[in-house]
Amino acid sequence: MLKSKTFVKKTRSGGVVKIVREHYLRDDIWCGSEACNECKQESTVLQKDACIESNLCSFPHYLVPDTNVVLHQIDVLEDPVIRNVIILQTVLQEVRHRSAPVYKRLKDVIHEKEKFFYTFTNEHHRETFIEREPGETANDRNDRAIRVAAKWYSQHLKSDKNGLQVVLLTNDQGNKNKAEESGLLVYRCEEYIKSLIANPELVDRLALSNDDKNEVTSSKVLYPEHLPLSKIQTGIKSGSFIQGTFRASRDNYLEATVFIQKEGDDSTEVLIQGLQHLNRAVHQDVVAVQLLPQNQWVAPSSVVLQDDGAAKDDSVEEGEEEKALRISAAEAARKPTGKVVGIIKRNWRPFCGMLNVSQIKESTRHLFTPADRRIPRIRIETRQASSLVGNRIMVAIDGWPKDSRYPNGHFVRSLGGAGEKETEEEVLLLEHDVPHQAFSQAVLSFLPKLPWAITKEDLAKREDLRQLTVCSVDPPGCTDIDDALHCRELENGNLEVGVHIADVSHFIRPGNALDKEAANRGTTVYMCGKRIDMVPELLSSNLCSLRSNVERFAFSCIWEMNHEAKILKTRFTKSVINSKASLTYAEAQMRIDDVNKNDDITKSLRGLNKLAKILKRGRIEKGALTLSSLEVRFHIDSETHDPIDLQTKELMETNSMVEEFMLLANISVAQKIYDEFSECALLRKHPAPPPSNYEILLKAAKSKNVEIHTDSAKALADSLDMARVDHFPYFNTLLRILATRCMMQAVYFCSGMDSDFHHYGLASSIYTHFTSPIRRYSDIIVHRLLAVAIGADSTYPDLMDKHKQSALCNNLNYRHKMAQYAQRASVAFHTQLFFKSRGIINEEGYVLFVRKNAIIVLIPKFGLEGTVFFDRKDKNNPNLVFDEEGPTPKVEQHTFHIFDKVKVTVSLDDTNIQHQKIRMALTDPVIPGVSVPPPDVEPQAKKPKLDR
Amino acid sequence: MATVKVSEAEKVYILHGIRDDLRVDGRGCEDYRHMEIETDVVSNTDGSAKVTLGHTAVLVGIKAEIGKPRPLVPDEGYLEFFVDCSANATPEFEGRGGEELGTELSNTLYKVFNNKNSIELKSLCISAGEHCWVLYVDVLLLQCDGNLYDAISVAIKAALFNTKIPRVHISSDEEGTKEIELSDDPYDCMRLDVSNVPCIVTLCKVGHRHVVDATLQEKACSVASLIISVTQKGTVTCSRKVGGGSLDPESIFEMTEAGKRVGKALHAPLMNLLQQEESLGKKRQKVGFLG
Repeated sequence: MLKSKTFVKKTRSGGVVKIVREHYLRDDIWCGSEACNECKQESTVLQKDACIESNLCSFPHYLVPDTNVVLHQIDVLEDPVIRNVIILQTVLQEVRHRSAPVYKRLKDVIHEKEKFFYTFTNEHHRETFIEREPGETANDRNDRAIRVAAKWYSQHLKSDKNGLQVVLLTNDQGNKNKAEESGLLVYRCEEYIKSLIANPELVDRLALSNDDKNEVTSSKVLYPEHLPLSKIQTGIKSGSFIQGTFRASRDNYLEATVFIQKEGDDSTEVLIQGLQHLNRAVHQDVVAVQLLPQNQWVAPSSVVLQDDGAAKDDSVEEGEEEKALRISAAEAARKPTGKVVGIIKRNWRPFCGMLNVSQIKESTRHLFTPADRRIPRIRIETRQASSLVGNRIMVAIDGWPKDSRYPNGHFVRSLGGAGEKETEEEVLLLEHDVPHQAFSQAVLSFLPKLPWAITKEDLAKREDLRQLTVCSVDPPGCTDIDDALHCRELENGNLEVGVHIADVSHFIRPGNALDKEAANRGTTVYMCGKRIDMVPELLSSNLCSLRSNVERFAFSCIWEMNHEAKILKTRFTKSVINSKASLTYAEAQMRIDDVNKNDDITKSLRGLNKLAKILKRGRIEKGALTLSSLEVRFHIDSETHDPIDLQTKELMETNSMVEEFMLLANISVAQKIYDEFSECALLRKHPAPPPSNYEILLKAAKSKNVEIHTDSAKALADSLDMARVDHFPYFNTLLRILATRCMMQAVYFCSGMDSDFHHYGLASSIYTHFTSPIRRYSDIIVHRLLAVAIGADSTYPDLMDKHKQSALCNNLNYRHKMAQYAQRASVAFHTQLFFKSRGIINEEGYVLFVRKNAIIVLIPKFGLEGTVFFDRKDKNNPNLVFDEEGPTPKVEQHTFHIFDKVKVTVSLDDTNIQHQKIRMALTDPVIPGVSVPPPDVEPQAKKPKLDR
Repeated sequence: MATVKVSEAEKVYILHGIRDDLRVDGRGCEDYRHMEIETDVVSNTDGSAKVTLGHTAVLVGIKAEIGKPRPLVPDEGYLEFFVDCSANATPEFEGRGGEELGTELSNTLYKVFNNKNSIELKSLCISAGEHCWVLYVDVLLLQCDGNLYDAISVAIKAALFNTKIPRVHISSDEEGTKEIELSDDPYDCMRLDVSNVPCIVTLCKVGHRHVVDATLQEKACSVASLIISVTQKGTVTCSRKVGGGSLDPESIFEMTEAGKRVGKALHAPLMNLLQQEESLGKKRQKVGFLG
């Protein structure tokens, strides 16, 4: 630093506090251009011959986008064609302030070496810093700062022989005029992008800006105006509006509910019906609603309405569409109904879906149908429609003017052909908001350097447990081994049992990019045949993975137990271990069962197994639930990666052996960190379900004359054990599957923010996650807490901040939920692939639920669930009588009960390429007009069968 | 209080000098010492001023905060005073040594300045009975060389002149709930009307005469002094006697008259100076504490 000058910048925030920050200006901030020989910079970012072929600029040029261009056209800026861009600090700060996701994307672009994006810290440069003038708004000041910086660049680069210039991109007319006055080269973003000769497809990605009003829209105003935020806020305060999350209905595009979170846990829903009342809200937006007078309240309709067909000419058909709703609204229970008056926060993200090509040839305007039915169709402009047909594409919404039937958006990218495996997997990940991009350079830079070895200092700080006979037991093919076990007899006759968990927190230090990325991902997502890692592979499959015969860092939880599995002593320590074997469940089981084997590993396993059985018994006596859900495993063809067979997962004794000790470790750790940090321990709870959740289970059991008690977990567990029906061995499993569906979701929480810690399913008064830090971020936090508690590591402020912890928990809960959904969706997709290759199969199944017009059938062999509808849109419906008491629907002459054994055909319905699904049709019992003949009689009829 | 030891001979010398209207440093009885004023010296206050008078140096910072109006006067804001006698000024102030003096000073300042005749207190009201501006006036004594009251009062007047209170708007909805909105323009400020803000003139009775702006030595020769606060127009708003000795009615009258005269003469150049400084705006080279 050669010189520094102190300036004072005044800001006022929130209350009436005057904040004064020192602002240092310097004159050693370089321009970052290769063409410059004045600046004493060590390395340059911007290229000397910065050529993007453009009609407007035939000379080499650097782009300087203003804030709005970055915010709205980030999709364009991300394109590899756009290079040599100067991002001013002013712009960066404003973007950061206005949109966190765009900021992150921008940062990623800047880090990419191939893009030649340079951040110029103009706010700290002596010649480009400007102070806000009296009467100038903050925006005007920033615009001026951008112009001043652009001007500085053009002066600075004047001497270049190649005629290098700086081009300012702005969409603000006022700003553009002022820039032209001061002699800058300035273009509107659209203008510039359209001028690019080589890349016409970029135009498609341009977001539609507000001022080039859409010509398609009629002048008629379709929707009421949204209220400004200030009015909404006062309205919410006074109670005339309610704030809530907008959730569009999956089945009816004219209906939605607004979910209102009240204090504590109770929440209510407000029904919204009709386009006018929905008022351009999109699924997941945070909106303000106004309740309608009670006489206008309606009941949710049971009609399925899909917004399909040709693009509606805005106003016309509405009346008709909504009529369908009204009819059903007249009857039955009415619900609080309201209308959306304003949007508090849009939650738009890029949506996956497919293009409906406009019927008019040559047209560049098309409608886009998102894969998620809750998202409205989006109008986009593209010239490559013909090449995009049949592809899955991503589209971002830019805005929804009040005179447009559909929101306007722009094309982001193509994911590939619909129905292809890679494409569909990508869609699954995107739709479930699973961050799955490759790890950025910034993240990877925090990885340990290879070759990595344990140093003397490490050994000095850790307990050396390398001589212990530690082994790991995992499912086959597992590469991220995060737990290992040992068991040995002590001299005093007691047993020492150790659970050794990969010490991930040693490698991931708090606050760095790697940590932030992992915290954001929250969990590793296991798809069929694919794993989306939470931490880079070097850690997950190598340095942290407790593989056999290598030295690894571990966080060990060691108990001294007597032979009755009573814990005498608990101890936690950071250690170094050397696993002697990585076994699969089956291998471990074989060793235990093989009486001829008597090596250390086997003895250790037998000891563990024996203790696990005692532990399990104890747990079940306390009322832990054994629930059931069918999990399937695909045999994946090693070359095509297509599923060739599937089987339900088998559970062995060793599964439960590992599980028992993991539970024990989790509980011990939970107790320890809660004792040490009563305010900020990260724990996991499983709330007891409200009694109403059990209704289905009780009714179902009653139909088979079985009594289920749900007063407590213990009662439930016992009555489930007792529930048996002769000649129906599968009944118990079915009941357990039903019971699982009654449960609440287990969640992470911060101990300082909640008082109820109980884990219902495990019947434990306290619980946390400690044993899988490679795949769960919660465990990393727990590791850190525990390390602080035993004095093995230092703490940091965020760890002790219960509000930050709580926010983190919310993210983790969200990520876990989405990961689960994504996993299920992945299984469903693979099931579809499987049935695609199989054609139609006739299978035996059980009725799991009954609905008014359908039964839901479970096929145990595939762990597959499907719906058999009795009614159809087109044809005359069979005679349906629904008995609420049972509940039992009676179709024609046949009455269905829960748990009935039925036979169904399973086939893939690919009529709608976006929503391919498994279709089930009844073959036994035979009901005329409903059931279909078994497939072998009529093997060819695939689809037409149902339309008869 | 900072005191100096003065020998009997010195006392006689000072006394005789004053009798002849010629003080030790060459001033007449109604002359002030050299005074320097600079405003806007502390950036994180809303208004500040630094005044040096001879070797006496005081720094005044004013912070405006939103508070609740006093119940008796719901439509007025108010001022709070705090005088910090830093041990920098004199070693006697070390520890809690300056506390007594500080309290005495702040009580006097409160009497002089916190009334609606000195400052338009109503203009500090944001919404009657609910919100008002509270001006926290913090006085820091940097050096004591006599005549603290006058120096502090001049500094307070200058700081009040310099004070920029962020402008707030009250928005209320149909239900009548009010909300304070802050303008996002940092230049959008409210200024105070300081035309009626008085200055304090301290008159020290030395022998049979009285002097203004007494040095520590002169103070040591005096038995009693009169503090009066005078506005621009020469109105006396407050007077107070300090010191152990007594004053006869006649000399009180004389001293008051002299005080009015001196006070009036003090205001005009002070306002002039402040306005001049203000007009320089941002271009003014700041002197600060090192100049």
